[in-house]
Amino acid sequence: MNDALEIEDVWKKFPMRRDRPGFKEFLLNLPKFVNRNYNSNFWALKGVSFKVKQGECLGIIGKNGAGKSTLLSLILGTIYPTKGEIKVSQKITPLLELGAGFHPDLTGRENIIINGVLLGLTKDEVMERMEDIVAFSEIKEFIDMPVRTYSSGMYLRLAFSVAINTDPELLLIDEILSVGDESFQKKSKDALIGLIKEGVTTILASHNLAAIKDVCNRVIWLDKGEIRAEGEPEKVVEEYLRCSG
Amino acid sequence: MFDREFRRKKDLLWLLTRKEITLKYKRTVLGILWSLLNPLLFAIVLVIAFKIFMRIKMENYTFFFLSALFPWNWFSASVTMSTGTLIGNVSLIKKIRFPRHFLVLSTILAQLVNLIFALPIIIGFSYFSGKGPGVNWLITIPILIVAQFIVTAGICLAISMVNAYFRDMEYIIGIVISLLFWMTPIVYPLKIIPETYQIYLVLNPLTYLITAWREIFMSNYIDWRSIGICYGSSLVFLLLGILVFQRLGKRLDEVI
Repeated sequence: MNDALEIEDVWKKFPMRRDRPGFKEFLLNLPKFVNRNYNSNFWALKGVSFKVKQGECLGIIGKNGAGKSTLLSLILGTIYPTKGEIKVSQKITPLLELGAGFHPDLTGRENIIINGVLLGLTKDEVMERMEDIVAFSEIKEFIDMPVRTYSSGMYLRLAFSVAINTDPELLLIDEILSVGDESFQKKSKDALIGLIKEGVTTILASHNLAAIKDVCNRVIWLDKGEIRAEGEPEKVVEEYLRCSG
Repeated sequence: MFDREFRRKKDLLWLLTRKEITLKYKRTVLGILWSLLNPLLFAIVLVIAFKIFMRIKMENYTFFFLSALFPWNWFSASVTMSTGTLIGNVSLIKKIRFPRHFLVLSTILAQLVNLIFALPIIIGFSYFSGKGPGVNWLITIPILIVAQFIVTAGICLAISMVNAYFRDMEYIIGIVISLLFWMTPIVYPLKIIPETYQIYLVLNPLTYLITAWREIFMSNYIDWRSIGICYGSSLVFLLLGILVFQRLGKRLDEVI
């Protein structure tokens, strides 16, 4: 199998900007602001390297602030690494935020079209799949209402249905799946497992360790921007629990 | 494959533009009819103003003013809106990967609707003045729309990005736009400016653009010289805009 993703010694630095000072303070302390050291840095990732094969499902676990979301954003390409290299050889479908790109005043249907095109389909292709998307989301009776009237569970259903119907090759998922109710969680997990069986590469960052153990073939434990452990889901999750428990 | 990607980009730009337009009138009763009604009512206001209160000794002054104002409005509305384009779409920019400049381009295209809906008013005035509209319009209007789109895109790309880093930009732009309004021959003809100052107007890319719009609307004349200069300066602005947008775009996520 080919590599879907190759990450080599990736570092990511965020400047820790203090809140912007008022104009008066700015003038009074001008020399201090000119000095570049005034803004200190935070290293969100410190030399992370790993590979993901096509069709693999990789889980990423770690505490809040360990660098999971930063890593996913880097893979997606909405932010750039400070150092290191990221090679992606498949089309990425992100599910990083509940209904990212949904506009509250547009209807469910209108949002499906825009989101589908944003995620890589043409408009005609979205229209062909409209019925499937609506059916999977199970919110048919609300589909022509503005999404500002939706509950967060309905948001998730819609967002997830669009994403899995856009022929994903490499699916990036950040937490969000835990929003839905029991039945939709099971349904989305089954759909995900189905996609993985079909050969869709998946990277899943989550605090839901049970779900990680269920669907992933391999797990990476991120700790303060570094890989602390990597390997079999059972083992890594157990180790993680022992150390953070 | 290449063809499909092209169609997808086209769909995306169209959908984003349509989204802007729908959202603008979403909760109004008259909806997009406002785009048609607005210029009409505005023209009526001007006729009242110039015929009764402020009698300007220039033939057809209302037409003179509107023939420049409607194209100007497309520019100024786009520039003003563009300050909020990137900072208003944070989740889209951070969580989905797509050509970000489409957000800016769709803002400009959505504002174009107002100019197009204002054309019937212009045509009406032109008809009553007896000089047009003519076949020349069909050639010139698309050419000028493209030229204005290019220069507006250059400026808006730069502004939308700079405003993400430096939010004061929004307020500066408000002032600069009104300065630019008076520095462009909109309410007055270019020739009333003393020659020593004309050079400053010429540095303004909108001077030729507005002149060319007025020539076609009022005299049914294709001002090739102005159009040529427009394209020259438009392309410079576009290149600068793209440069700024790409350079600063690398760290956009840190500031929005």
